[in-house]
Amino acid sequence: MQRIYVHPLPVRIWHWINAFGFVALILTGVQLRYMDLINVMSFKTAVNLHNWIGFVLIANFFVWLLFYLFSDKIRVYHPELSPMKHFRGSLRQLQYYGYGIFRGDPNPHHVTAYHKFNPLQSMMYQIIMLLIVPLQFFTGLLLWDLKHFAGAVEFFGGVRVVATVHVLCFIFFVGFILVHPYLASLGHTPSAHFKAMITGYEEIEKDPG
Amino acid sequence: MKSSQDEGAATPAKARRQLLAGAIAALALSMAPVTAASAATAPMSEADTACLGCHSIEGLEKTLDNGEKLPLHVAGEGFAASVHGVFGCASCHAAIDPARHPAAASSIASIRQFSIERAGACQMCHSDALDQYGGSLHSARVREGHPLAPVCTGCHGAHAVSPRTAYETCVGCHAADLDAHGDWLPNAALHQEVVSCAACHAPDAARMIDLRLYDGAASKWVVEEEGAPLFGQLAQAADTNGDGLDANELRNLLQEVNRGAARPRTLRGRVELRTDVEAHRLAEKSRAIRACDNCHQYGAEPFRNVTVSVTGPDGRPVRYPAHKDVLGSALAVQSLPEFYAIGGTRSRILDALLVLVLLGGAGVPIGHMTLKWLFRKYRARRARSGGGNDAR
Repeated sequence: MQRIYVHPLPVRIWHWINAFGFVALILTGVQLRYMDLINVMSFKTAVNLHNWIGFVLIANFFVWLLFYLFSDKIRVYHPELSPMKHFRGSLRQLQYYGYGIFRGDPNPHHVTAYHKFNPLQSMMYQIIMLLIVPLQFFTGLLLWDLKHFAGAVEFFGGVRVVATVHVLCFIFFVGFILVHPYLASLGHTPSAHFKAMITGYEEIEKDPG
Repeated sequence: MKSSQDEGAATPAKARRQLLAGAIAALALSMAPVTAASAATAPMSEADTACLGCHSIEGLEKTLDNGEKLPLHVAGEGFAASVHGVFGCASCHAAIDPARHPAAASSIASIRQFSIERAGACQMCHSDALDQYGGSLHSARVREGHPLAPVCTGCHGAHAVSPRTAYETCVGCHAADLDAHGDWLPNAALHQEVVSCAACHAPDAARMIDLRLYDGAASKWVVEEEGAPLFGQLAQAADTNGDGLDANELRNLLQEVNRGAARPRTLRGRVELRTDVEAHRLAEKSRAIRACDNCHQYGAEPFRNVTVSVTGPDGRPVRYPAHKDVLGSALAVQSLPEFYAIGGTRSRILDALLVLVLLGGAGVPIGHMTLKWLFRKYRARRARSGGGNDAR
């Protein structure tokens, strides 16, 4: 079993703060939105927690962004410029998750320090980190102080539009937070990827061939 | 206008005059929808002109028993344009006998005492409001002798009475208290903009959501033109089944309202009282509504009643009922882009989407795990025969 250092310390810190923060944001968000169904805390407490955690995660996002902008590790986010290659890789990965994994086929993706994402992850994380997460933070910031950001809110079509985008992103993250740990458990052992995100080292199985 | 005779003891003659004034006021009120809009331009009656012959004199005043000077000057234009202008001076000052006015010998203790006693004139037409006021914090303070506690004229003015918003009325005295809301209320300034003071400070009153036409480009409420009451007709035409506007009908109404309009008009929502009368029953600060979930939850009391309105030519809203579902409809993104309250205007479509994602988010891992478990023996056999590398 080979060990490769794929998760530098700043990325691990960012990841776990982000993970627990998003869970907390989802829980307080559910409390805010479903006050008639759930009563774990008061609305005001949920608002204050939601706001504070939101700001912590915005700051945390910049830890992630600045680390990758100023390190060569940004290569892990470089997109595959050949659409056909990307499409074939994605199809192979889908085929693995939907069929090959049940048969015991090997994972078609081989992790390296600069190539830690499979084609599906690569596409998804670019969309999530560069579009959905910033959109969620931005709409959350506008909703935090509607009077102060009244001009921007009006520019984007009104508070209802901003809030609807925020809720749609929230719904996406609810799905993500449910599926992501399961996918993370599909390593060579169920805990392999979790350990890697703590130690920084991924254990790579030797190619049976 | 005002005379010291108003404060005289009740006599049969006075009672008759008050009865007559009441009848006049009732008659005039019944004509109000027709006459109020044109009050600003209506010529004054001879009797009113006679009153103003003296009471339009700037600086006219009377020295009271305590030495205070009671201003007797009345701005004629302000009164004529007021909601009471159409009723005339005698409606409120029925006790004055023109033959004996001004009374040579009269006694008024103080301006304060005079204001309190004059509330009796308001009682003639506004007994429902006075009943509510009687149970209010303001009334209690008056009874306790608080020198600044308002009677009717304290909030509504004496002669230039107009339909000011509750916010303006309250802020007239409580401006300094506005900032104090920020100590505990998130987004306090926004709440003060979209929630009428009485919606929280009259906790026993019934509330509603009023969606009012707003001109965003001019940053002001749309005011219907005098003599052209179009909004009510458009709302009625849009309400095809006559049961109040549903989400589709509301969208159609907005399209009609904006047809040919130079600037787009939108609807801005406010939490208001269902009847203005109840706004008079303001409670002690300790009883004011502070719990957020009074509004911020699905089906909260204010969100069960919805009206769509435009500010009428006289400043009063012209309202038309709407279904409560318009607030959470998918069409609200288009028809109510500027009104949103967490929980209160929750979209049922987004709720359904969340449930689907929850089911999918839980179902995909469970289904995948189940399939992996079912195939475990096959994988083990393959691994043993060298056909695969994962026996788990």
